[in-house]
Parts: sequence; C-alpha cells; structure tokens
Amino acid sequence: MLNAVLGIALAMLLAPALSRVLDDRAGFLLAAAPLAAFVWFVLQVPVVAGGGELIEALAWVPALEVTLAFRLDGLSLLFALLVSGIGTLIVLYAGAYLSDHHHLGRFYAYLLGFMAAMLGLVLADDFIAMFVFWELTSVASFLLIAFLHEKSDSRRAALQALLITGGGGLALLAGLILLGVVSDSWQFSALQAAAVEGHVLYPAIVVLILIGCFTKSAQLPFHLWLPNAMAAPTPVSAYLHSATMVKAGVYLMARLNPVFGGPEGWGTVLVVVGAATALVGAVLAIRQTDLKRILAYTTVTVLGQLTMLIGTNTTYGLQAFVIYLLAHSLYKGALFMAVGAVDHATGTRELGRLGGLIRFMPLTGAAVALAAFSNAGLPPFFGFIAKEFKYTGLIELGPLGWLSTGVMIATNALLLTAAGLVFIRTFLGRKGRYPRVPHEVSAPMWAGPMVLALGGFALGAFNNLPEVWLVNAAVQAVARGPVEVNLYLWGGITPALVASALTVSLGALAYVFRYQVRLRLARLRVFWRISGDLIWDRMLKRLFVFAGTLAGNFQHGSLRLHMSLLALVATAVAVLAVIAMPGSLLAAADTYAPLSPAGLAGCALAVCGAAGAAVMRGRLALVAALGLSGLGLALFFLAANAPDVAVTQLMVETLTVVFLALVLRRMPPMRVVGSRAPLVRRYHAVVAGLFGVAATLLVLAAVSQPLPGGIASWFMHNSLPGGHGANVVNVILVDFRALDTLGEILVVGLAGLAAATLLGEGRGPAMSRQQGRAGFDSVFLRQGMRPLATLLTLVSLVLLWRGHNLLGGGFIGGLVAATGLVLLALGFGVPLVRRLLRVSPAWLVGAGLACALGAGLLGLLAGEAFLTGLWAAPAGLPLGTPLLFDVGVFLTVLGAVLHMLFRLLESEED
Amino acid sequence: MELIAALTVGVLVAIGVWLLLDRNLVRVVLGVVVLGNAINLAVLTAGRLGGQAAAFVPGGVVPEAAANPLPQALVLTAIVIGFALFVFALAVLKRTREEHDSTETDRITRVAEAPAPDLPADGKEGA
Repeated sequence: MLNAVLGIALAMLLAPALSRVLDDRAGFLLAAAPLAAFVWFVLQVPVVAGGGELIEALAWVPALEVTLAFRLDGLSLLFALLVSGIGTLIVLYAGAYLSDHHHLGRFYAYLLGFMAAMLGLVLADDFIAMFVFWELTSVASFLLIAFLHEKSDSRRAALQALLITGGGGLALLAGLILLGVVSDSWQFSALQAAAVEGHVLYPAIVVLILIGCFTKSAQLPFHLWLPNAMAAPTPVSAYLHSATMVKAGVYLMARLNPVFGGPEGWGTVLVVVGAATALVGAVLAIRQTDLKRILAYTTVTVLGQLTMLIGTNTTYGLQAFVIYLLAHSLYKGALFMAVGAVDHATGTRELGRLGGLIRFMPLTGAAVALAAFSNAGLPPFFGFIAKEFKYTGLIELGPLGWLSTGVMIATNALLLTAAGLVFIRTFLGRKGRYPRVPHEVSAPMWAGPMVLALGGFALGAFNNLPEVWLVNAAVQAVARGPVEVNLYLWGGITPALVASALTVSLGALAYVFRYQVRLRLARLRVFWRISGDLIWDRMLKRLFVFAGTLAGNFQHGSLRLHMSLLALVATAVAVLAVIAMPGSLLAAADTYAPLSPAGLAGCALAVCGAAGAAVMRGRLALVAALGLSGLGLALFFLAANAPDVAVTQLMVETLTVVFLALVLRRMPPMRVVGSRAPLVRRYHAVVAGLFGVAATLLVLAAVSQPLPGGIASWFMHNSLPGGHGANVVNVILVDFRALDTLGEILVVGLAGLAAATLLGEGRGPAMSRQQGRAGFDSVFLRQGMRPLATLLTLVSLVLLWRGHNLLGGGFIGGLVAATGLVLLALGFGVPLVRRLLRVSPAWLVGAGLACALGAGLLGLLAGEAFLTGLWAAPAGLPLGTPLLFDVGVFLTVLGAVLHMLFRLLESEED
Repeated sequence: MELIAALTVGVLVAIGVWLLLDRNLVRVVLGVVVLGNAINLAVLTAGRLGGQAAAFVPGGVVPEAAANPLPQALVLTAIVIGFALFVFALAVLKRTREEHDSTETDRITRVAEAPAPDLPADGKEGA
C-alpha cells in the first residue's frame, strides 16, 4: 500500500521532466504507475473478500505516536480500486485532452499528486495521517481548479473551493483530535463505539467531523463550490469532482458509521441534510444549459443521496450506498469524459447548440448512451440495482423513510431527465449549430468513457460478481453489525419496483415537457435570487472590509504612535510582573556591592552623555556626547571587573563615533528637538519616563532576589579543566556556549552585508583609483597613522592568540584590527587598504563563518556533538578547535566592519 | 552599587525611548544606541556587581569573589551585535535621506507607503 502511494508520488515528480521529453506521449508512461497500483489492488480482492485485512505501518512522528498506518478493508479497497482505476484512464485521457497545452507536465504532476494523496486518504488508518492526506487533496484540488489561471473565473472558483474545504478541514481536525482524546485511540481500526457514545463531547465531535465531511462532499449549504469548480479542465472534473475527491467526505462518514451510527441523531442529520442537498442539486441541474454544469449539479444530488443512504443504516440502505457509490463513479466519470470529448470536438458545451452528434462521434455516443442508461437507473444497468435498493432501504426506515422516499423519487426522476438531456438532446435529433465541424476523438479520449460505461453495464448484468468480490466486504466495513448481502435485478413486485416505475414515468414526462418545467421553475424568481454565490461574494467582501478596518486601526503607519503604544504596553507588563513578585523590592543593604568611585563616575558619564545627546542639536556635539556616554559605560564595566567587556565597549564606541560622524556629515542640521506640539512632547516625555521607571523597577526586582543556581561557579571551575582556557568569559564564548556565538557572528556578518548594500553601490578595487582623502592631508597625521595602524593590527593578532587565557579573544581582536585598518582607510583611502588586504572584506566574513562552522564540524567528525571542543598539544603547544572557532569570530567581525566602512567611504567619494 | 546602576539604567532607558519617539530619524538611531547601552548595563547588573577579581582562573585557581562571567559573555556579544545593528540603522537612515530627501518619520511614511498591489485601494472588490 505504501508502495502504491509512493510509486504514484514518484510518477508525480517525474511527470514534468518526462512530458518535456516525450510531449503528450508521456501519459502512456505515467499511467503505468496508477495501473500498477490498480493491478495490485485487484490482486488483493480475494484476500479482502474472504474477510481478511491488510495492515502496514511506518513510524512517522514516533514522539507524538503518529504513524503512517495503512489498512485495507472492504471500504478502502473499493475506493482504492476507483482511485487507481479511473486514475489510469484519466491520465491517458488528459494526455489527449490537453495535448496542446504548454503546461501539460505540470498538469500531470498535480493530477498524480492528487492521486497519491487520495489513495493515502482512503487507506490511512491513523487519524492524523488521514487528515494530512485529506488536506493534501484540498490543495491539489485548488491547484487543478486554478490550472487555467489566466481566467479570473478559475482563480475565484479555486479560492472558493479551498476556503470552503479548508475551513471544513479545520473543523475536521478539531473533531478528530477530540475523538482521539475521548476514545483514547488514534486509529480507525481501534475505535470502539462504546468509548464514544454518551460522552459529554460526543455532540461536539459529531458536529465538527460532519462539518468537515459536508464541506468536502458539497452538502447543503456548502455545495456551491462544486459547480464553480467546473472551471477546471474536464479530466479534473471527471476525476476529482465527481468520482473521487468529493466522495472523501462520504468515505469518512461511512468509515465512522459503525462508531456514530447508533443513537438517533447521526442518522437523522444525515438523512435530512442529504435529502435537502439531493433536492436542491436536482432542481438546479434541470435549470442549467451547460452540459458540464448539469453534470456538476447531478453530482451534488448524488452526494446528497449517498449521505442519506449512510444515514438510513438499514440492510438495504447500506447495500444501496456501496452499489450506488460504485455505479455513480463509473457512469459519472464516463459522462464527464464524454462531455469533455464533445467540448473538444465541437467547441461548445451549450445544449442549445448541440444535437445529432451520433453521426460524427459514434463511439463517444455509444459510451454516453450506456452511461446515461445507468445514470437514469434503467435495467439491466448497475444504476438500476442501486435505485431499487435505495428505495427498499428507505422504505424500511419508517415515517422518515416515506418522506425521504418521496424526495428520492423526485430527485431520481430529475436525474433521469438530466441523463436524457445529456444523451438524447446532445447525440440524437437534428444537427446542432456547432462552432467547429465535429470529428470523432482519438482513442484515449473515447476509450476511458467506454471502459467505465461498459463496466457499469457488466456489473449490473452479472451482479453476483461484484456482490461476492466487492460489495459484501465494503458493506460489512460500513455497517455496525454483520449484514447479509444479496444483489438482484428482479425482486418481484415490491414497493420499490412501484417507486421505480413512478420514477421512470415522472422522469420521462419531465424530459418531454422540459421547456415547460424550466419555464415554471424560472417563474419562482424569489428562490433564484437567493444565490449562494452572491451571498458568498458579499460575505467575503465584508470580511475583507472588516479586516481592513481592523488592521487600519493598528497599522496606521505612524512609527511614533507604534513606538509609544509599544512602550506603554511594555511598561504595564513590567510593572505587573514586579507587583506579582513576592518579597520586597529592596534587599538588605549588605547584599549590595559597595559603591566604587570608578563605577559612580562611569554611571555619571553615561547619563550625562546620553542626556547631552538628547537635548543638543549640533551634529558634532551629538557625536561627542554619544561617545562620552559609551566611554562612561566602558569605565563602569572596568570597575565591575569585566575587562573584556570594557575593552569591547571601548573599541565599539570608537567605531560608532567614526561611522556616526561619517554619516551625519551629510545630514542637514537639526532645527527642533522633539515634537513641535507641546502636548505631544509632554505625552512622549511621560511615556519615556514611565518606561524608565519600569526598567529601574525590573533591575531592582532582579537584584533583590538571591542569585539562583551555581552556574557562574560551574563555569569558573570547569573553564580550565574542560575548556583549556583561563579566561572564563572567552571560554564561555568559544566553547561552552559556542552555538550561541555562532548564531551571533552570523547575525553580525549578515547585518554587515545588508548594511553595506544600503550604504553604497558595490565597486571593484580597480575602479577606484583615487588616492587618499582630502580631509586627512596633514603630513604629521599621515606619518603617525601608519605605525599606529601597524601596531594595532599586530596587537589584534596578539589579543586573538592569548585571548583564551588572558584579556582578549576573537571579538576584541577583530574590533582592534578593524580600528587599525579603519584608520588607514581614513588616512590613505580605501584602495590602499583593499590592496593591503588582497581579499574583499565580504570574503573575510565568509571565511570567518566557514572557520567557525568547520570548527564545529570537526567535533561532529570525531563522533561528538556539534561544536564539541577537541584538543591536541603538539610540542607542548595546546591547540584546539575552540581556537579555530575564535579565528572565525575574528575574521567575521573584522570583515563585517570593514565591508560596511569601505562601502560608506566609497559612496562618499562620488 | 546595584541601586545606582538600576537608577542609571532607568535614566538611560528613558532617554533612549525619548529619542526613539522623536520625529527625526537621526535621533531615533541615537535612541537605539542609548537603549542598547542601557540594556547591556542592566544585564551586567542583574549578574551582581560585587566581584573583587576579573573572571580569570590562572593555573586553575578560582579566585575568591570573582565577577560573574556569564553576563559578561552575554554582554560582550550583545555589544558587537548592537554595533552591527546600529550601523544597519545608520545605513537605513542614509538611504532614506537619499531616497525621500527627508529624515522625518511620519513624512516618509506618507510619501513611501503605496497601497498594496494585490488589493484595490478602495476595498471594493471581494476576492
């Protein structure tokens, strides 16, 4: 079973390439996949008919106990045969039907993808696996309906189908999860009716699952997507929207019938909804003039009848369900394919322009005749048996049954009329006014309908074959208990036969007086004004307008309003968190660290600098104030015994000043500080102040609690034994938490590349010949710069090397080296530094990331986890992968800074 | 010391947010820097400030009352990332000025925001 699904999925992957090479002949090759599956399923018939089941299971998400479990019982086998058998014919048919379409390969891929998903759906035993396949069929259906995507009708129909079936799918998922939780089993085969019945959630489960089934199988009021889906190419309509996908909902109802079929509610709901759907579909079908839409609405009718039959849960009702399912798939597939052939041959599907086609298309005509007879429910076709059994099954039901029998007679009569329209009106009588001169279609196009139509005839005439091999096992799978199955054409004069005779005469009358019937129906204008499509459009429009209004209130485009709202909400959350925290905000005074003069000075500097930046207008003053603030912070870090952090802050502050000065030079001077309106200014001040208070409270709250855990001391004690380094901060960065660092340098590298693109156009070193910059032409400065830059570069290498044990490391080294080269670039121009470097800074970023990643992979190669440190000491010199990692950090930081600066400077030279 | 640091964090954060709320993008970028500094200070403070020695273990000897190395490692990378972010913001600022000839946030929004291409501006059409 798994192989069948996988084989068809493989064909899907091959389809585009194959059809590029073989053109429309690819279909013959691709059809081999579903054919092989069909043959395999046929070979399993004896096993299943003998009461056996085939089970295959593959662990899929073991952690969640989701398995790819497949089970082949009577019901699954019936569907699998339909899916793979009709699928084979459709693939052949599509090759001829769309032979001149330039995306035939894509069409094959979608079609085969759908086939694999549909097979998976009917075979899956696991809820979740079934649901995944279910959704896949919806997606495939969307793609296939929208295949002719140049037409707006197709796009609209595809979206409608996706929204309706997808929405139903959500309900189904919820229902299945509830069912799984309530019954404590996630497989259909393990479901016990007793575990679910009488549970509080029982009604919710039934309603949710039924919404899923009704949307998929186009039951009232969700039926409107199905006729619109006829915008798809005919092979799709024949396959997805009559024979297989729309029956997925019916399949699931049948599959769950043994579990839910007990109490009254289930049956009544199914019979009522099904009957209403059948009636609406039949009436609407008669009103259509487009052949394909007639067939679409009769499909809606049939789906309604099938739903009804499941709901009866009587011996005959369930037999009728299985027979009718089979009969309908055969004749409706045939009719759709034949209508496609007619369309292909004459260029129209309008009833008014057709007629007398049997002269031109005898083979197609014969197939349609056979299928239409089965459709009309005339003996000895399979459709006749289905009709007889339907009546018997419904009459068995009692009062509700009599009512639904009436509905059934009416809808069947209308189906017969529709069959007449499709065969008699189209193929017999006077010649129509065709847009094109008709011709008989090629073999793959008439063979499909012919095979299916003959199948319908054979199954009816030799009805003990399907009874023994197919119907029996399927009925047992649907029924709650064992059911006796016995098919016959002639059962004597029974109420069912009378109903049948009534149907045929009513249908014939309706056909003869079809114009009057249509006229009468057209007079009931009130009803036709309630168009589901119109309501759908209005609802969708309302939804868009509603979403637009809602989004417009929040996405107003004012950055400042966004920011202030964000700050207020964050303030509220922070204050709530602090209030909810147990204990006092202020701990005992002796738990705090003693005041240090350097720390105080740092704090004062940081605050003064920032305040200066906030109130000053001069650009240079701003740069200076910001630099001061950063320096204060560096001083504070130094006082807090964090020398690595202090040095990093110092280097970054230097570079910040350089970048800021370079960019601000070109900016216009600022005239006003803050907002113009005093009210807004006050509001902003309050927001900022509150946020500041909240931040203070948060820090106080954090500090008032005891420091949890011994993580700091763990790092201190394991740094040298585990990480071979005495600089604990550096060891944390390149060894203990190297994965974090890897992510961080990736961010730095990416930000550098992105910022460089924004800063200026890329330019090769060859194009920029300009030497030096006008602003730095002082001889002393230039002479002093050269040794300083050299010194900085050398120092950076030392810092990198010793960083593992002493102050330094990749980050600091990279920043120091960058500062040195920045000095050179400012003094002597970018071209000189580019020549010195020999490689592009972007390349440095790449090399750095590769080093870091390589260091991690080395650990992986040694059989350890990713980024595990490996150490060796050749000649007493301790070397390890963390050192290589640190080199990567160095190169990435250096490359990113230089890349940004070069672009900035080069863009300024213009 | 932690109390002073907490107060400093509060003042810096307030100044940073005040700058972020400004009309002028130049000051918004400065706000990003000030806010980043404040957060770095907060993180380091949350790891306690009472360390008497830097987090070095020469010869495997763990010093008494050493500074907490973990927030230091976090802040160190945060500083570098903050710098990259700052330069990116600067780049956006520069490009904005070149494209729209303005550095005022709301004015840029008015000029730059075209209606979404896939939806009609008046919201008339449904699907």
